Amino acid sequence: MHATARVAQWRQIVDPAILFIVLAILWEKAVDIFRIKPYLLPPLSKVAATFWDARMALLAESWVTVQEVLAGFALAVVGGIALGLALHAIPVVRRTLYPAIVVFQGLPKIALAPLMVVWFGYGTTSKVLMAFMFAFFPVVISTMGGLAGTPQHLIEHFKAIRATAWTTFRRLQVPAALPSILDGCRSAMPLAVIGAIVGEFVGSERGLGHLILEANANGRTDLLFAALVAISIVAGLLYLLVELAARRVWWRAL
Amino acid sequence: MSAIHPEGAGGTVAETAVRVGDVAKTFGRVNGVRALDRVDFSIPRGQFVSILGPSGCGKSTLLRIVAGLMPADPGGTIEVLGRRQQGVSPDIGVVFQSHNMLPWCTTEANIRLAAEVRGLPPAEIDKRVDELLPVLKLEKFRRNYPHELSGGMRQRAALGQILVLRPQVLLLDEPFGALDALTRDQLNVELLRLWQLMRQTVILITHSIAEAIFLSDRVLVMSERPGHIVEDIAIDLPRPRDPRATKEAPEFGHYVVQLGRLMGVD
Repeated sequence: MHATARVAQWRQIVDPAILFIVLAILWEKAVDIFRIKPYLLPPLSKVAATFWDARMALLAESWVTVQEVLAGFALAVVGGIALGLALHAIPVVRRTLYPAIVVFQGLPKIALAPLMVVWFGYGTTSKVLMAFMFAFFPVVISTMGGLAGTPQHLIEHFKAIRATAWTTFRRLQVPAALPSILDGCRSAMPLAVIGAIVGEFVGSERGLGHLILEANANGRTDLLFAALVAISIVAGLLYLLVELAARRVWWRAL
Repeated sequence: MSAIHPEGAGGTVAETAVRVGDVAKTFGRVNGVRALDRVDFSIPRGQFVSILGPSGCGKSTLLRIVAGLMPADPGGTIEVLGRRQQGVSPDIGVVFQSHNMLPWCTTEANIRLAAEVRGLPPAEIDKRVDELLPVLKLEKFRRNYPHELSGGMRQRAALGQILVLRPQVLLLDEPFGALDALTRDQLNVELLRLWQLMRQTVILITHSIAEAIFLSDRVLVMSERPGHIVEDIAIDLPRPRDPRATKEAPEFGHYVVQLGRLMGVD
């Protein structure tokens, strides 16, 4: 029992690592064997070298993108929870606003990127808004779903102990909705990253998305790949941040 | 032990704890389904009464009406300790079949909850919880969360969540109905022990004949829907009751046969 647990634990790390190494060798060798032109697919060693050489630039551009993502995500979480609460608690808000939200959610947010640039320029604001728009709806929907999903028998228990509506909301509905709200935040973070990069594609002077376009225009496929690696590291770390924060809420409504 | 007795209403002692007068309930305005039909009974203070009936007979509906969680049809009255029932009375505590613990709170925090909601002073809540935990045999589990407790412990805690308010009238809607037979029997013995300490008025909803006889001073038998009281039987078995001796007594068997016949179990 103990031995198998230990084997399983090191294999958690080693098994994916083996896959990773095999793919890396295949990439490196395939470029040689099939004589793929370097501007289509630079060998892995070249990408790694470029990543190291351009590390300061990559770090600077990543920092720009991270700030946009975090600002957009924070707005989406605060605004999404607030709107979700209002939609759940206030019937008038629900009646009037919900149809508009459904229509707006159906709109491909990518299509709004040019408009954001026209309205808010090439700077940070348009990217923050793009990240916000991508991340906003999952938070709204999961907040509403979580609040509506409060177990009926617990609501009845609160009635039976003569709790006020406010107490029921604060001590029952909000904690019961938290796991669902955090699920919404989990799906919102990767969407915020997409939003910021899309915003940078459409019009920007900084950020990882801008770096990708620039590398592409200059035929620097190696730098493009290095930027992709940077994006996946950034996205992974940001997701880990949400995951670690969300771990503090371990319960599920019974 | 006087500290855990239910809080008296001072000098004015109403002899009747609960009076149910001509209560009916119809669900739906048009072509309504009649769930309860002219239910009429009263329960003196300190009595342990079971309401026994087949499933779907409206006994849970009756309990919710008595609790003030649901209005009766116009014309019916509920009086609790001499006062006309309007909304949930502060003298009433209700325990349902599904336990009512909050998964994000420890046993202790769950038991404190109702008292905090009612705005009792913290020192008083501390005192009550410290008295309740040993009585409920949950002392060792005060810092555990509901998912770490067994089903039986959770139902004991659910009792504690209500007993902390020291209600004079305790309404129990099959509180141990979701548990296995063995745990259920054990908890019924516990419940009787608690009641012998506290002597509140108890109305228990059940569909188990043996449970009703073992626990009660009196059993009200309900008909099938639309439910009404068809029989009111005093259970004349000595107290304190013992799970073995009481059930082996010949009178116990007579009651089982009598109630079985009324319930249509032959």
